Amino acid sequence: MKAPGRVLLLNGSPRPGASTSESLLTYLDEELEKLGVSTQALKLTKAVRSEERTAELLAAIDGSDLVVLAFPLYWDSLPGHVVRACELIARHRAASPAGAAPDRVAPGGPAPGAAARPGFAAIVQGGFPEAEQNAVALEICRHFAAAADLEWAGGLALGGGGMIDGAPLRKLGGRVKTAMQALDQTAAAFAAGRPVPDEAVRLMAKNPPAIVIRFGANSHFRSQHKKQGKAPLDARPFASPPP
Amino acid sequence: MNAKETRAALLFDGRNDDADPTLALLDDALVDGLNEAGWAVDDWRLRDVKMAWCSGCFDCWVTTPGVCTYKDPSREADERAARADLFVLLTPVTFGGYSAELKKALDHCNGIHLPYLKKLGADTHHPPRYHRVHDLLAIGTVPAGEAAGAEAETFRRLVARNILNLQPGRQVTGVVESGCSELEVRTRVAALLADAGVRPAGPTHALQEVLP
Repeated sequence: MKAPGRVLLLNGSPRPGASTSESLLTYLDEELEKLGVSTQALKLTKAVRSEERTAELLAAIDGSDLVVLAFPLYWDSLPGHVVRACELIARHRAASPAGAAPDRVAPGGPAPGAAARPGFAAIVQGGFPEAEQNAVALEICRHFAAAADLEWAGGLALGGGGMIDGAPLRKLGGRVKTAMQALDQTAAAFAAGRPVPDEAVRLMAKNPPAIVIRFGANSHFRSQHKKQGKAPLDARPFASPPP
Repeated sequence: MNAKETRAALLFDGRNDDADPTLALLDDALVDGLNEAGWAVDDWRLRDVKMAWCSGCFDCWVTTPGVCTYKDPSREADERAARADLFVLLTPVTFGGYSAELKKALDHCNGIHLPYLKKLGADTHHPPRYHRVHDLLAIGTVPAGEAAGAEAETFRRLVARNILNLQPGRQVTGVVESGCSELEVRTRVAALLADAGVRPAGPTHALQEVLP
């Protein structure tokens, strides 16, 4: 992987407002910019909404040296709209050889079609405390990178993503200290043209005790339900056969 | 399989398009096999359904527990899933996972779980909302010669993870190579349905012996 001139940050959260994926990407973005790396951010919910937006996404991928995707864990894998984006990207890149973007090919360097492939890294965060529950999703990302002719640059997995819940990491401070350290190391590695460091993977996976995360999440759900619930939290609306 | 009077299967037909005829053969064989075994089959052809992507609002957990608040077919996902004894996932193996069409529908089935985080076995999961046990039969297609490949292995691991959130259901996974004949597809489906407890195993195994 070469030192990136341009990094594309893809937000795979389906939420229209603040999200944990956005919090992680924003922090990474700030760290990359400190290191002189220029970035562009896109939201995948918008990119799969129309052909025009999809074309923007595909052009941005082709024009980047490194793509970083952050997303929440849904059913042990990527959210549906992120899968759709990946399908579109892989189809596009299979149809147009990697390196087709002329401005990424140095004069006298590799011919179009043989230029360095963009790198691809993923950050997955799930509500469960155990970061290893994200492992299959990262495997899927790695397979996607191969299918889309992108160079796999590694992945980070965070458990207990609800602790962040869309808040800026710097505001949360000590509670997400290791996540910030992981992103600091990752930004430095990317800026130097290296993949996600092993130490960053370890730091990102480091969490408060599972029992604390479960207690916090369950309290949050009860509180939300108390404010807006229209039926008991454990209601079973479809337990009976249909009339 | 659940010893219930009403046995119902929800078949998530996750084909993105008609590009792979093997998926059409699998869909037909699954519907026929389930019907022959006396099951009610809800064959949900997802690409014909105009359904928004799940927005992660969690209203199906905290606002209208068990029901999606979208005013489109997303609302049906929780009900169709809640009434099924068996989920059948049919999909092209997509980077080792599910197709976008299948995943769109699955993401809308969160209401069959409770929001709570609870330690179940080794890990934390969402407990089931309903007493009904949901078994899981997942069948994915891969290009010829790749049934033992890395994406197929990831697909098997994904299904194994999914069943942990559907505890204590049974999980059966099949990876079928594209280009199979109809006889091969029907034999394979019969075996998978037997593994899932839908039909007796005997005839299926006998049929397998005459195949290459």
